[in-house]
Amino acid sequence: MDKIDLSVVVPLFNEEESVGHLHRAISEVMSGQERPYEIILVDDGSKDRTFEIAKGLAQEDPHLRVVRFRRNSGQTPAMVAGIEQARGEIIVTMDGDLQNDPTDIPRFIDKIEEGFDIVVGWRYNRQDKLVTRVLPSVIANWMISKVTGVPIKDNGCSLKAYRGSLIKSIPLYSEMHRFIPAMMSLAGVKISEIKVKHHARKFGMSKYGLSRIYRVLLDLLFIRMVVLWCERPIQSFTLLAGIPTIVGLGCLAYALVEALMIDGPASFIMFGLAVLYTALAVFLVALGLLGQLIYESGNVKTESFALLTAQSSVSTDASKVVQT
Amino acid sequence: MTAKEDRLVSVIIPVTTRHSEVADLLREYKAGLENTGHSYEFVYVLDSGLPRVRESLEKLKAEGEPLKVVILAKWFGEGTALAAGFANSAGDIILTLPAFRQVQPDEIGRLLELLADETDMVVAQRYPRLDPTFNRIASKIFHALLRTTLDFPFGDLGCGVRAFKRKILDELQVYGDLAVFLPLLAHQQGFKVAECRTAQARDDAFRRVYSPKIYLQRLLDILTFIFLVRFTKKPLRFFGLVGTTIFAIGGIATLWLVFERLFLGVALADRPALFLASLMIVLGIQMLAVGLIGELIIFTHAKDIKEYNIAEIIE
Repeated sequence: MDKIDLSVVVPLFNEEESVGHLHRAISEVMSGQERPYEIILVDDGSKDRTFEIAKGLAQEDPHLRVVRFRRNSGQTPAMVAGIEQARGEIIVTMDGDLQNDPTDIPRFIDKIEEGFDIVVGWRYNRQDKLVTRVLPSVIANWMISKVTGVPIKDNGCSLKAYRGSLIKSIPLYSEMHRFIPAMMSLAGVKISEIKVKHHARKFGMSKYGLSRIYRVLLDLLFIRMVVLWCERPIQSFTLLAGIPTIVGLGCLAYALVEALMIDGPASFIMFGLAVLYTALAVFLVALGLLGQLIYESGNVKTESFALLTAQSSVSTDASKVVQT
Repeated sequence: MTAKEDRLVSVIIPVTTRHSEVADLLREYKAGLENTGHSYEFVYVLDSGLPRVRESLEKLKAEGEPLKVVILAKWFGEGTALAAGFANSAGDIILTLPAFRQVQPDEIGRLLELLADETDMVVAQRYPRLDPTFNRIASKIFHALLRTTLDFPFGDLGCGVRAFKRKILDELQVYGDLAVFLPLLAHQQGFKVAECRTAQARDDAFRRVYSPKIYLQRLLDILTFIFLVRFTKKPLRFFGLVGTTIFAIGGIATLWLVFERLFLGVALADRPALFLASLMIVLGIQMLAVGLIGELIIFTHAKDIKEYNIAEIIE
């Protein structure tokens, strides 16, 4: 099998109108690169003719590979499948709805060649509905950057480029694609963010709505925990347990003061609360230990990502993001 | 089905507490399958000893019937018996049949005919139903529940007559009691599942009154299944929702009590309501913490979990 330098992974879901345009646009850009490339279209269980059209294109274009899912599994699994199938040293992912512009791809590739491990697109001029799409996204991105400490302006942009060996080792599932930069920052990778063009949707309908916020929040909570776990394992949960301990001790003090100072029966409620919150603190510490155990026995090790980065010995500053 | 390609069909018969006379039933099944143009292997799985069944199966074997008998050490339930049967069979096509007369045996061949190239699984639906009204209503409710909660469009999950291709087993992880829910699982994973109306056997139409325990068991089965399908990959979604709800109720209640103490002069320390509110806060935090642990388990094993099912790759 020939060595392939560049892979472009595009998940598709009900994009029958876009497929042809998309393929033409990417092919044009990629053939200009004069390096071996491949395009991987992942049909995420489309109900329309997306797959038939893509299949037809694949018969004419040797660079094109099409992966078809049995059922709709979501954008992240589609990207994961595409990334797993990809053979390139540099993997570029993008949306299938023509909102990303393939002509941006060469700049991404240049950045990776420069020594960055991941290059993230920033749709600085978003062409979406303000209230339902842009606003939630701005809030989400602000929160993600605050919580994870990786100041990326647009985590939701699908147009990204990765060092292939690195992205293949990152645990990706559910809707985790939004957090790839944050996850990778654990390994001390070098992240670059570049402005990309963004077009208004020409065909089809937007497939995401407001309901994401709740999920993003929970995912964020979890990512925060993983980040903590990796940096300061047991301490973090013990610190968290400090809050109920203080509350519990406060209740105990109140009850004791009341019992000793004021003549009368001691407050059982306050004693009860003291016990309750102390128990919660113990429970949290125990869970922290359990979590540590699970983490240690699992097969995700941030150290292993670090070995795959471009200059693992040089770059240890995780939160350094270069804006261009 | 195109032409009469001869494929090996593994007929798996899990024998649990409810079973008819083995020799008679086997004869009827064989007669029903005679004209389909496939070759068959029969695999009986005995759920626990069942000495009388074993005796008659051994007798049949001695008479030259090519049977395979798998005996489970203790009672595991129908799902596990089926899974044991899957593991001990070799055919490309698997046909599961109940160990009692559930449908007219001569109708079974039709399922295999329907299992053409495009269809991955065919399940039988007993139709028309001869059961008493009570059982029919109970079954209707059960399936309405399945339809609304799990989007399962078929009408008879209780029927053990199913034919499917082995690739379903290769791609789905079937363990424990999940085998009973195989059509549901296959449908959810995007396989083509078809339904075939078959006449119900007269023997099957007696009045069945189950204990409340059985109904509860079924309900729990559905809940387990919903959890497995919806939340196994995102435990925090489930625990987080429950946890934050409980936490929020407890938090608001506490704030209200504190407000009353500060501004309305109602004593705080002797109110059981305070205890209840705090209990809810604690429970909410615990739920969230358990969800985080669950999520961590998924996270550290994400590489082993496949969230998608590739139908084909075109190069």
